[in-house]
Amino acid sequence: MSARGMRYGSAVLVVALAALAAGAVFGRSNREDVIMVYLLGIVIVALRFGQGPSLVAGMLSVLTFDFFFVPPYLTFAVHDVRHVVTFAVMMFVAVVISSLTERAREADMRRAEIEGERLKTTLLSSVSHDLRTPLAVMTGAASALLDPASESLSPEDRRHLLSTIYEEGERLGRLIRNLLDISRLESGAVHIKKEWCPIEEIVSSALSRLETRLGDREVRVDVGDDLVAPVDVVLIEQLFVNVLENAAKYAGEDSPIEIAGRRVGDRMFVEIADRGPGFAPGDEKRVFDKFYRGSHQSAPGAGLGLAIAKAIATVHEATLSVANRPGGGATVVLALPIEGAPPPSPLGEVP
Amino acid sequence: MTNESAAPVTVLIVEDEPSMRSFLRASLTSHRYRVLEAESGQYGLQLAASHGPDVILLDLGLRDLDGVEVARRLREWTQTPIIVLSARGREQDKVEALDAGADDYLIKPFGMAELLARVRVALRHKAALAQSGEEPLFTVGELRVDLAKRQVFRGSDEIHLTPIAFRLLAVLVRNAGRVVTHRQLLRDVWGAKATDTHYLRVFMGQLRQKLEPNPSKPRYLMTESGVGYRLKEDNGS
Repeated sequence: MSARGMRYGSAVLVVALAALAAGAVFGRSNREDVIMVYLLGIVIVALRFGQGPSLVAGMLSVLTFDFFFVPPYLTFAVHDVRHVVTFAVMMFVAVVISSLTERAREADMRRAEIEGERLKTTLLSSVSHDLRTPLAVMTGAASALLDPASESLSPEDRRHLLSTIYEEGERLGRLIRNLLDISRLESGAVHIKKEWCPIEEIVSSALSRLETRLGDREVRVDVGDDLVAPVDVVLIEQLFVNVLENAAKYAGEDSPIEIAGRRVGDRMFVEIADRGPGFAPGDEKRVFDKFYRGSHQSAPGAGLGLAIAKAIATVHEATLSVANRPGGGATVVLALPIEGAPPPSPLGEVP
Repeated sequence: MTNESAAPVTVLIVEDEPSMRSFLRASLTSHRYRVLEAESGQYGLQLAASHGPDVILLDLGLRDLDGVEVARRLREWTQTPIIVLSARGREQDKVEALDAGADDYLIKPFGMAELLARVRVALRHKAALAQSGEEPLFTVGELRVDLAKRQVFRGSDEIHLTPIAFRLLAVLVRNAGRVVTHRQLLRDVWGAKATDTHYLRVFMGQLRQKLEPNPSKPRYLMTESGVGYRLKEDNGS
């Protein structure tokens, strides 16, 4: 049955129940009480099923009330004019309540639309700033180099302008990549491809991608070569990269980073901890919000790294949480469910 | 190492974006490569047949033909190295192109240094293929692999590998500098029927434990996430 048919069917059912209940409880002697029960039925239909069904409920109420409760019984004939007034009131209530609920429903939808628009505008304004700035710098630097007067620039100045164009291009590329990633993850357009993989391989691959970002800081890895989990390798590597990048950005250059992994029952935990300033109070939830950059507004980046990491955890049905460490520093923990076991080795020799 | 040999090395660019072609042309000609350009897959196939380039740069996002299909058709008659140019996040496309016979890939956006390094690796590999079957000694950092004698050294210590681990390393050594897909490794080490990447990854982890000074920060055996592995070379990539 269609949703529409369902709503009308429910309206008929509610009226039938109201008639039955009224008849059983009050009988024909207390018509005022019966009318109250009918009105209650109409109100319920109007609130739950909307305008059309509530008008139908009104009409059915009038008809069944007339048929069962108004003498002569079991006919639609009416002898007393007073009852016609009752019918009119019933219909009136049905019409008024249904139009009131309809209006409330419309107002709700409009409010949701406005909320959505406002959210979009905030996102758009923070994105457009981040998009425009590098574009403006690139266009400006390139136009300066194209200008005939640039002949007089020193080679160092020309080089400087060129490297600015290059760096801003890189920055723009990163931002666009992040925006695409987050929208693909959140719209459910990402198909995850789970494979059993040693976590050490993923961690090491993430670390080598971040080689220059991490610099000389100490990175301790305690994962163990036998910790394996079914994950989308590319996405989980991205998660580690984002969390590590975040630690490198906020924890300061001297802070060591510790990565520890272990399996407890059917869950795997990977913890990435630093000795930086930690999260400000109240930031624990908000750090995963898009475009949230904590109290460190001066730090570079659009505030998407941890939001993407969280979205990747979510598509794995895993959780990502943050906390401050005793003794100072921040820790980010990935808790990932492990289902099943890796397939048996078809490759002969076991290492 | 620039392209200094007497006969210029010819690179065929198959790419439909004019600005991308001009960047590639500028980078390559300034390093004395000769450049051929095709803006479609069909024309690229024609130029490859008529001019016999030394390396082919192939965009995977062509409008007329699927880049993977172009790679497959080229491989029907030529072993010219193919480097595919692809967008990030399309691991499957890259893997398909590599399994169809492409030699390596570059993820857009890439810089000139990366491009030249990949081209050099491809050319070197082509030259090595053309040589006689004698297997050279491979060294990178402290690592030394003698394929003929089946010996592996880290510094002065000989490292003993199980037969399968050695076969795995040998495939990577023969393709040093290039990416080797999971499927190629499974096929070359375990045979055509092997498909499960999990144990390949476990063996790779073991190989790292034995060869890398710090297995969680590998210097030689690099992971190409979602694609395969690449053994680093001293110069170039």
